[in-house]
Amino acid sequence: MALEDFAAEMDRCSQCSYCKWIPFDQVKSWRFAKNCPSIAYHNFNSYSARGRYAVARSLIKGQSGYSDTVRKIVFTCMTCGSCDVSCKVCRYNLEPLEMARELKFRLVEDGQGLDEHQAIIESLNKEHNTLGRPRAERGAWADDLDVPRLYADKAEVLFHAGCRFSYDRELQGVARTAVRLLKQAGVDVGIMGQREMCCGGRVYSMGYRETFTRFAQANLKAWDRAGVKTVVTSCADGYHAFKRLYPKLGSQVEVLHTVEFIARLIKEGQLTFRTAVPLTVTYHDPCHLGRQGEPYVPWEGVEKKIKNQIVVYEPRRPRYNGAWGVYDPPRDILRSIPGVELVEMERIREYSWCCGAGGGVREAYPEFSRWTAGERIEEARATGAEALVSACPWCERNFKDAVKALGDSLQVYDIVELVQKAM
Amino acid sequence: MTLARNVYKALEDIVGPENISDDPAVLDSYRYSLAHTAIHIGPYYDTFTPRGEAVLLPGSTEEVQAIVKLCNKYKIKFKASSTFWSAQGYPSGENTIQLDMRRMDRILEIDEKNMFAVIEPGVIGATLQAEAMKLGLNTHLPGSGCSCSILAGATSYFGSGPSNLYGGWHYDNLLALEWVMPTGEILRTGSLGAGCGWFCGEGPGPSMKGVARGFLGAKGAMGVFTKCAIKLFAWPGPQTLPVEGTIPAYRVSLPDNFKAYTVAFPSWRAWADAAHMIWDAGIGYLAHRQFNMFGRDLKFAMIKILTDPTKTLGDLEELLEDPEVQKVTQESMRDFQIVLAGMTRRDMAWQEKVLDEILRRTGGWKVEAMNEPEIHDWALLYLIRLGHKNLNLVYAGGYDGCFGFLGAPDYGTTYVEEAAEFKREWEKRGAIVEAGGDCMMGPIGGQGGGGTCLWENFTCFDPHDKDSVEGTLEFFDACTELGLKRGWGVGMEKWNAAARGPDGRTPPKEERDRIHLAAPQPSVFRYQHRVKEALNPNDLGDAYYETLED
Repeated sequence: MALEDFAAEMDRCSQCSYCKWIPFDQVKSWRFAKNCPSIAYHNFNSYSARGRYAVARSLIKGQSGYSDTVRKIVFTCMTCGSCDVSCKVCRYNLEPLEMARELKFRLVEDGQGLDEHQAIIESLNKEHNTLGRPRAERGAWADDLDVPRLYADKAEVLFHAGCRFSYDRELQGVARTAVRLLKQAGVDVGIMGQREMCCGGRVYSMGYRETFTRFAQANLKAWDRAGVKTVVTSCADGYHAFKRLYPKLGSQVEVLHTVEFIARLIKEGQLTFRTAVPLTVTYHDPCHLGRQGEPYVPWEGVEKKIKNQIVVYEPRRPRYNGAWGVYDPPRDILRSIPGVELVEMERIREYSWCCGAGGGVREAYPEFSRWTAGERIEEARATGAEALVSACPWCERNFKDAVKALGDSLQVYDIVELVQKAM
Repeated sequence: MTLARNVYKALEDIVGPENISDDPAVLDSYRYSLAHTAIHIGPYYDTFTPRGEAVLLPGSTEEVQAIVKLCNKYKIKFKASSTFWSAQGYPSGENTIQLDMRRMDRILEIDEKNMFAVIEPGVIGATLQAEAMKLGLNTHLPGSGCSCSILAGATSYFGSGPSNLYGGWHYDNLLALEWVMPTGEILRTGSLGAGCGWFCGEGPGPSMKGVARGFLGAKGAMGVFTKCAIKLFAWPGPQTLPVEGTIPAYRVSLPDNFKAYTVAFPSWRAWADAAHMIWDAGIGYLAHRQFNMFGRDLKFAMIKILTDPTKTLGDLEELLEDPEVQKVTQESMRDFQIVLAGMTRRDMAWQEKVLDEILRRTGGWKVEAMNEPEIHDWALLYLIRLGHKNLNLVYAGGYDGCFGFLGAPDYGTTYVEEAAEFKREWEKRGAIVEAGGDCMMGPIGGQGGGGTCLWENFTCFDPHDKDSVEGTLEFFDACTELGLKRGWGVGMEKWNAAARGPDGRTPPKEERDRIHLAAPQPSVFRYQHRVKEALNPNDLGDAYYETLED
C-alpha cells in the first residue's frame, strides 16, 4: 500500500480523540486512563492517531513539508497499536496503526529517516542484528546447549532467540530455559545459532519495509532448507513478525510464543511446579504478543457500500482489534506457579500501556522511552506487586533500565524466569 | 499570515518551547473537517477550519492569563478548546492562535460531602466519573460522550445528555468558576469570588453564569475558563465498574438495583404519555432514545453486531434478513431506553412497579430481546459510561443531526413521522445512509427532572465522497426549508450558520445580521453585543459568541 491509499481514512477519521484513551468502558481512574505514550508525553494533537491522519493528509496534499517536527511526530509513534484498539471500539472501517506504519514507510522512502535508525539498518545489513554486535557471537548464548544447529541439521521445530536474547547476557537465560523446556517435552527442536538472523520486525516498525522484507525472505528460505514446520520464540516482536507479517510473504509456518507452549505443557500435565515462588507479581502484556498477537487471516478484497453509504468490504475483511491476542496463557502460567500471586494493573490485555521500547523509540528518543516505561512501573507499583513480569526481552530490558534509572526496587522478570524458579 | 517572531518568542517565553508550535503540519492537525461531526452547518466537502497561527499548550491559569494579555497587546485572536469535539472549538478566521487545554487536566478536588468536583478544562467525563464513583458519586455526561471535557460542556455549550433526567444539564450543574476574561483579567464567580470556596455559582460572590456562558455557552469565544466546580450526584453502584466481555462488546453486570430497559409503545401518543408519567413519578436515573441513532430499520441489527465481537458491519445485510431481528426491529419502532437505579432495594422495587404501571397505562412494553443478559449488560454500560458515542460515525465517518425538536414530548412525537417520512424519501436518493427515515435520538428529559425532549434526526454520510457530502447538504437545506414552512423553525442542521460559513470562516456581517434578525429573540444577540463591547473590547473571539449591533 501507499500513503495515498489511506486518503479515504484520513477523511473518514472521526476526529473524536478516542485514540488518546484506553477504551472508555475500561477507565478505572484519572491516573491510568491514557493509552498512547506519544500524545501523553508530547501533548500536541499531531502526536495522536487522529493527528497523524491529519499530518499525513497535509503532507500528501502538499500543504506542509518535512521538518524536524514532522519527523518527530512520525517516529515517536511506538506502533504499539493502542490507538487502533480504542478507535475500533466504534469504527469498523479505519486502520490507524496501518496508517501510522505507512507514514513511517513514506518518510523512510523519501530519505527522511532518523540517523539513529540508520545506524541500526547498517548493523542489520552488516551483522544481521539490530544491536550493532558481531555476527559471529550471535550463537554464543547456546554454547552450553546440546541442541542441533539447523544450518547443518534438520528439525521440525525451530527456537528463534532473536537479537535481544542473543546478545543481552543479563536476559539470555530465558532463551536457554525455553530450549531446555522444549527438549524436556520431547520436542524435535533446533536453533540457527550463529547463523540466526534478525526477524526484521523492529525495523519494520521503524519504517524500513524493504529491509524487513529482505530479512523475512532470507529467514523463510533458511527455515525451508531446515524443514522447519514450527517456530517457537520468547520474543514478542519476533512472534508478531513471524505470525502476522511473514504470512503476507507466503509463510505457512506455525508460530508459537514460549508462553503458549508452556501453558500447553501445564494444561496437558507435562509440566508441574515443585518449588514455591513467594512473590506478588503483575503481568505486562507486550503489545506484539497481546493486541498485535492475533492470528493472521489472509484477505484480498475491495471496499463497497451498502445501504447507500455504509462502508464495508467484499469479501468480509478480517478485523484486528486486539480481541483475540495472547492474554490468557501467561496468566495461566503465573496462576499455576505455587506462591505467585497475580495482581492486575488497570491497563491490561488489549488496552495495555506500552513498555516504551517499540517503533525505534528506545533507540531514537531514549528519554521519552524511559518516561513511558516509568509510567508503567508506577502503574505496577500501584497494584502492590513486588515484581513486574513480561514475556518479551525488549519490554524486560526497557523496564530494567527504567527501574535502575528511577532508583526503584521493583523486580523485573521474564515469565520464563519464574517458571525456571518454580521447577 | 505568520506570527511576528517577537510575538512568537513572547508566547514561547510564557509556555516554554515544548508547548508551542507553528509547524504547518502541527497546525493542520488542529483544523477540523467541515464534512464531519455535529458542526450544524454544511457539510462542506474537502473544507476545513482555517489554520491557526500557532498552537499553545498552557499549563496553568497564570499562563493562560499571560497569553490572553499578550493577545490583547498585539490584537491577536485566540480560541481555546479542551477536547476539540466539533468545529466550534476551532478558529474561524486569520490571525488566531489556538490554545489546546489538555495539559490542564487535573481533578483538583472532589468534595464528597457537598457533592461537587473542582476540575480543569482537560478533565473528561470518563475520568471524572471513574473518580467520582469511588466515592459513591457520579457526574452527568453530555451527549457528546465521556471523551469530552466536562468544563467545556458546562461553560461553553449545552451540557445536555442522557442523564439530564437525574443529573441535570451541566448548565445547571455549573457552580463556581474561574474565568480568564477576554481582556486577561481573572474573574472568580459565585462563592469562589467571595473567598468561600467552590460550592455555589450564584453567590455570595458575583453571580456571572449568564454573562460568562452567554446564550447556550460561550463556545470558546469569550476568554478562557480555567477551572470550575461541577455538581455531582449519587451513584448507588460499585466503586469501579466491573467490566467484562470481549472488545468491543464490553458489558457490565451490576447489582439488582440497576436495570436498563428498552421500552416501546403502540403509538407516539402513548410514548409521550409515558415520558410525562416518568417525570411525574420521578423515576429513572437516565433516559434516552439512544440506539435509534442507527436508524429505525437498522438499530437492532447494529446492536447484534456490537454485542458480538466476531461480527462487523459486513454482517449487517445478513442480519437484516433474520426474522428474529426483523421482529425486534418492528416491535421497537417507537422506543427509548431508561436506566433505573435504586438507592435502596425498596426504592428499586418501587421504581420497577411504577415503570410497569406506566407501561400498563400506555399499552407499552419492555423489548424482551434487549433484556437478554449480554445485550442488557452491554446497553447498561453504554448508557452509564457513554463511551461508545462515536458509533454516531460508525457507518462511514460523517454524521450530523437535522430538525431537532426541542420541546414537550407531544411536540416531537406529533411531527416525528412526518420528519421521518421526509428523510426516508431523501434516503432513496443515495447520498445518505438508508436507515429507515426515523433516526431521531435524544434525551427523555431535556431538563433536570424532565419537561422537554430534544430530538435530532441523525443523518449519516461519507465525508470522503463528494456526492454524499453534497447530497447531504442538499438534504439539510431541504430540512431547513421544511422546518420553516411547517413552523418548526430552523433545525440543528443550520444552528451554527451565523458562526461559520461554507468556507469554514466567519460569515459576512450582513449574513449574520440576517440570521439574528430572523431569530425569535434578536434581543438576545443585541444584549450579547453589549456584553462583548464591555468585556471583549478588542474583539479577540469569534462569531460563535453571537451578537447583533443595535
